[in-house]
Amino acid sequence: MDAPLLMVWVVRLLFLALLYFFLARVVRSLLTDLRAAARQPGASLGRLIVVDSPSGDPEAGRSFDLDAITTLGRDVNNAIVVEDPFASAEHAVLTYRGRGWYVEDLGSTNGTFVNGRAIASVAPLGFGDEVSIGQVRLRLERARSA
Amino acid sequence: MTGASRPAAPRPVELPRILGDIHPRPRWTETRLLLVVAVALVVGSISLGAGLTGRLAPYEPTLLVIYLVTLAGAHVANVLAGRRSDEVLLPVVGLLGGISLLLMQRLPQDLVTIDVAGSTLGLGAVQLIWLVLAIIVATTLGIVVRSDSWLRQYKYTWAAAGIALLLLTFVFGTDVAGQRLSLRIGPFAGQPSELLKVILVVFLAGYLSENRSLLIEQDTRIGPIRLPPLPYLAPMVAMWAIALLIVVVQRDLGAALLFFAVFLALVYAATGRISLVVIGAILFFAGSALMANIFPHVRDRIDIWLDPFADPLGSGYQVVQSLLAFARGGLIGVGLGEGLPTVGGRPPIPEVHTDFPLAALGEELGLVGVIAILGLFFVVIERGLRIGAAAADDFRAILATGLALVVGVQAFIIAAGNLKVLPLTGVTLPFVSYGGSSLLVNAIVVGLLLALSDRGVEPPPPPSGVRRWRDRLRPRRAR
Repeated sequence: MDAPLLMVWVVRLLFLALLYFFLARVVRSLLTDLRAAARQPGASLGRLIVVDSPSGDPEAGRSFDLDAITTLGRDVNNAIVVEDPFASAEHAVLTYRGRGWYVEDLGSTNGTFVNGRAIASVAPLGFGDEVSIGQVRLRLERARSA
Repeated sequence: MTGASRPAAPRPVELPRILGDIHPRPRWTETRLLLVVAVALVVGSISLGAGLTGRLAPYEPTLLVIYLVTLAGAHVANVLAGRRSDEVLLPVVGLLGGISLLLMQRLPQDLVTIDVAGSTLGLGAVQLIWLVLAIIVATTLGIVVRSDSWLRQYKYTWAAAGIALLLLTFVFGTDVAGQRLSLRIGPFAGQPSELLKVILVVFLAGYLSENRSLLIEQDTRIGPIRLPPLPYLAPMVAMWAIALLIVVVQRDLGAALLFFAVFLALVYAATGRISLVVIGAILFFAGSALMANIFPHVRDRIDIWLDPFADPLGSGYQVVQSLLAFARGGLIGVGLGEGLPTVGGRPPIPEVHTDFPLAALGEELGLVGVIAILGLFFVVIERGLRIGAAAADDFRAILATGLALVVGVQAFIIAAGNLKVLPLTGVTLPFVSYGGSSLLVNAIVVGLLLALSDRGVEPPPPPSGVRRWRDRLRPRRAR
């Protein structure tokens, strides 16, 4: 095989090799990204952001990482204590079952609202939905990942 | 010292107000990947030059230089904008676009010509113009879009616009090769179905995120099948009807397949219920089977797919030539610029620049090259799904998933068509095929993905349709 033809083949193979080099670099950066996301502490199932809280406790803007069962109410034993005069001691519970979040009213005096609508007992809750407990409004969001 | 004698503090240089505060933020991953892209494309251009002219020099380097400068400009703009957006998408799409440029330079230049100011631009130059515009569009959207409320709040408006676009094409569209695909408004001609796919994803993201919880609830039971509440199935049935309508009126099998596949994928992503997908797929196949029996053009496509060699010089010509091209390519290909023997001065595959770029690349880069190109599309899909998984709420998650899938599924449909895995349909290979509407719409997709990937975007607005205060009873003080 003469030299020019050899060079042509070297260039051709180099082009293919560079395509794969690029892919390898991309995959490496993707893996770094995925590992960082997996390492993220508190890779929780979601979080609740306080949108509006007239009494100031919890203060608006605060974010709660959620466990699979998270209770809300005025009692200090709740996972999220809602210090609001219109909230019951044991007001509502958020549960993560299989595919999504559900909110259940625990027989509160003033009821629990999802996007402004009172729920009967249990209601499914999507990310971006708002839950009202007393005068406190909270929004369910995805967990913040890397 | 009194205030009067104090020297005036040096005034900071005032930048134009429109740019706002500039906080440049280095994007080293993007820089490194773009350098690899540049080196790869230069080597590809040299390889192309060796194939076409016999000399080891880049083939018509001006076009490639303009393209690389545009990519560099996009990168600088991203750095200056300082958003924490994705750093992998631009290099991946840039490499696909660069391969497209090399391919279009290599094909006969008179496949597409535009006369501008006395000079005639050939296929390569025209494609370069579209590529540059596409990169500008993607980068601008990625930098400028900071809120998604304009997509989120007007989903029914978008859906109406999409249907209007579809109807316009039905009525005023021009037929190209038996398919009513292109719409001509004044001097501009475009393929509305390309834009329609983005509108579809926006609408579905809005609709599914709003009604997700209702679709998950299993209310209606028909025998062993559990369905969501029936009224919420109406848009799905409408979607099915629209897909079939596209097949009948537009004769566009590819768009119908693309829309329905993305629709089912998004329903699954939003609800996690495989039963809905199975029902949808059964409906689609039943509809397709019916179509194949009623409409000859559908039947023809399927006959060609099942046995292109029945009429290798007639209806099966494109597919047969495509398969032969892949076969000639073999494992590592014949080299850029060396493949595609011409028949009477034309490449053997009709419409190679729009429908069969993968076959041309398969011949010249071989199996190894095709797998690398498919790998690039997988990276685009991965990025989209990852952006979706990290999104703050359902709308953004479904939107990002859908945008990535619409590109990935389209690439799969046309690649499978070229390889006779699926019936051949006239969709483009995203970022690679020649065509302005295809490139620009896919650029919009990439731009939106870039914007969505930034975690600094403004928080999602409160759920729409909230009648928070009216519905609420006067609260009583709790015990």
